[in-house]
Order: sequence, then C-alpha cells, then structure tokens
Amino acid sequence: MAILEVKHISKKFGDLEVLKDISFNVEVGEVVAIIGPSGSGKSTLLRCVNQLERADSGEINVCGMNMLHTEDGKAQYADKKTLRDIRLKIGLVFQNFNLFPHFSVMQNVIEAPVHVLKQSKAEATAKAQELLKKMGLEAKAKSYPCELSGGQQQRVSIARALALSPDVLFFDEPTSALDPELTGEILKVIKELAQEKMTMVIVTHEMAFARDVANHVIFMDQGYIVEEGTPEEVFGNTQNERTKQFLQRYNGGEPPLA
Amino acid sequence: MDFEAIKKVTLILLEYLPNTLSLFIWTLVFSIPIGMIVTWLKKCRCRPVNWLTDLYILIMRGTPLMLQIIAFHYAIPMIVSSAVSSGKTGGIIPFLQSIMNNEHYMIITLVVAFALNYAAYFAEIFRGGIEAIPKGQYEAAQMLGMTKMQTFFRIVLPQVTKRVIPATANEVIVLVKDTSLANVIAFAEITMKAKQQMNFYSSILPLFIAGIFYFVMNALVTMLFSFIEKKFDYYK
Repeated sequence: MAILEVKHISKKFGDLEVLKDISFNVEVGEVVAIIGPSGSGKSTLLRCVNQLERADSGEINVCGMNMLHTEDGKAQYADKKTLRDIRLKIGLVFQNFNLFPHFSVMQNVIEAPVHVLKQSKAEATAKAQELLKKMGLEAKAKSYPCELSGGQQQRVSIARALALSPDVLFFDEPTSALDPELTGEILKVIKELAQEKMTMVIVTHEMAFARDVANHVIFMDQGYIVEEGTPEEVFGNTQNERTKQFLQRYNGGEPPLA
Repeated sequence: MDFEAIKKVTLILLEYLPNTLSLFIWTLVFSIPIGMIVTWLKKCRCRPVNWLTDLYILIMRGTPLMLQIIAFHYAIPMIVSSAVSSGKTGGIIPFLQSIMNNEHYMIITLVVAFALNYAAYFAEIFRGGIEAIPKGQYEAAQMLGMTKMQTFFRIVLPQVTKRVIPATANEVIVLVKDTSLANVIAFAEITMKAKQQMNFYSSILPLFIAGIFYFVMNALVTMLFSFIEKKFDYYK
C-alpha cells in the first residue's frame, strides 16, 4: 500500500519553477532517499509534502487521505481537520534540529504528545524515556538543548518526531549541520529505524548512506526527477548524463562505483 | 545648608516619593499591555492598521514626552472651554467636565501621556523580540500539530520574554528618571519639590538629594532585572 502518493506536483517561487511535474510513491516500510545538487528542489519537495510550503498544482495523498488535488489547474487543499490529521501521521526531522531551547530534552519530547494528542504526562513520559533510551540519551533527559552536541540534539529531534508515532518520517538533510563523526551517530540511528521497517523519506547528501539504506533512490535536478530506481540501478547502472556527472563529483572525480 | 536642613529636605522629598512611584508604577501597568497590543496591531495582516500603528509610533517616539504631557494635560480643558464659549454644552462635554473636575485629573493625564509614550517604545522592543525567534521554531511547532495559540504561548512567548529583558530594563530605568518631566504641569513629585527647596535655600543641594533618590530607585530596578535575567539563564 502506498503511504504517500505524489502526483504531478508543481511549485513556483515567483517566476522560478522549483518543482516541475514531480510524481513518486512511498510504500509502507520503504526507505526513499532523495539526492541531487543544491537548488534542485529536494527540500522544497519535502516541504510541500509536509505542508510547510503550498504546491501550485498536483495531487498528494497521505495514508489514504487526500491532502491536495487540482481543480481547473488550481491546487485545492483539504479542509483544516484533514490537513491536521495528515500532519499527525507525518514526522519531520530538520537540518537545524529546531529543538525548543527553553524546554529540557524530556519536555521537548513530551510537548506534543501531552498538548496535542492530550496524553497523560505519565504515559507520554514513559514513552519518551523509551525513545530516549533507544537514541542513547536516557542520561540527558533533564539537559537543555544548548548543553548537547549537534548529534545529540539531532537524536532528540528524532525522538521528538517519533513521540507522535508517525506513519512516515521525513528527514531534511539531517546530517548537513554535523561534522563527519556526529554524522555517523545519526546515520546509525536512521539505519536502526530502517531495520524496524519505519517508513522514511530522506533528503541527503550522504551518497554512501543512501546507497546503503534506501530501497528507492530519487535523483532530482532543476526541479525534475531525472532518474529513480533501486540503489543498484541509480548508483550502479546510472542512465542519465546529469546523474552520472553529479555522482562522479561525489566520488572524487572517479567514475561511479560499478 | 546645615545637616538639619538636609534632613528636612530629605523628609520633604520622601513625602513626595509616593507621587513619583505611583506615576512610575501606573505607567508600567498600562504601557506594557498597550505595547503588546500595539505590537500585535503592527504585525497583523491589515495594511491600514499597520499604517496607523506606524504613525502612532512615529508620533510618540518622534516628539518630546514633555510636549505630550503638556498637550494631554491641557487638551480637555481647552476643548471644554471652546465648546462652552460657543454655546455647546451637550454631547461628551459633561463627561469631559467630570474628568476635568476629578481630584486625580493631573495623575490621570500624566499616566495617559506616559503610558501611550512608553507603549510605543515597548511595542518596538517586543516586535524585535518576536522577530528574533527563528522561523524553524514555528515550523517545528507546526509539524508537531500545535495550534497557533499553543505555538505562541508555549514556544514563542517564553523565548521572547528572555530576549526582551535587557532592552526592557533599559526602558524602565529611563522611565524612573522621566517621571521628573511631570513637573512641567506642576505635579508634586520629587524633582518639582527639589526645585522649590533649591529656591528656598538658594542651594543646589536639594537637587543633589533628589538625584540620590533616583539613583537608589534605579539601583533597585537594576538589581530586580538582573535577578529576572538570571532566572532565564538556564538556556541559551
């Protein structure tokens, strides 16, 4: 079953077309990696799916609910309640973590379960403790974000997103603000989630990681999906000239790995 | 001036300290909430409201508080007298007359002038605080399904409060000293009394004593604000 269906999405910022006729599906338990050069529209695509930007036209369905469809060439969004229901099915991990600095780690994680899902504090705390343990942060529950390393902050933000038990988790360049060592911590966590069959969509510049973890790889350039397929297809048997160029650059000028 | 005279002057000033303090406190009580409302009006999505708010802030910050005090103090009597002399006694005239004859008329006009003036400054401080909150905080709250109200009161406001404390302290310290401007309409506060004593003793010492009063008040304000600042020190 497709948990996310994106059909013919277009988006303009002024005269600049950032997304052109984008379509893809995400199946339950699948890990999709979106790669591509800066400015190719990867983040904008993620933000459109997450309702942080509005698409100009196209159709998006999440967990069988219609979020957006197009009538007479104009995007029609669902009613507020549906949009909210959809939002609660989706988690997003930001590049810059965006933790709430005035809340402790624990408060960050239980904020939405308590105030949005109206769970009891005890219930939310128990679940949060479990999540923090999984993230290797059980000792940091009382710390404030400013006392944590970037990698720890990003793990808190993953725990915060998971606290709402989303059906699909999105990552917007989750390691771009981190040094290589801390990047490793985060990739390990995402790998573990993949093993648990968490459905994930990851925008990333970590090619080796995308190749390793993703079931499906999408390469975007200038607002188009120019190539997609299994990691073996995209990395091993690259068809598109632009993809080849891009991957070569990532491999330090050497031809893409066969 | 001998020691006895200094003591006498100090006691006189002490007697009028409550007037200075009540102007100070009432101004804060009204100007901070009005400032919040002005911030909100300035940030709302209605253009004409934004323009009016800009105009209000421009006038309040662009003209001397002393002139504003005089204008507010004499506006009502002038309206009433010109209305009465042209034979109009209906409408709001009786209401204005009743305000004018209120025993607290002077402090009322002072608080109105001070509160409207300080609200303009506070509004800009609060706006600066709100605009300093990164967009990512709103987006994170949105992704967690928080409502606009929850986002504002649980995420934005606590962080704004921390950010505006130093600038607010600045403004409150200036307000302590600005209460002395009330002497232009002969409001019996510390500076007005100190000037009288200065003339009486032909000495500058009463003004010096008044200075000490303001200094002590501001030392207390400064301590209070650094205490509050420390309370918010647990995060960056």
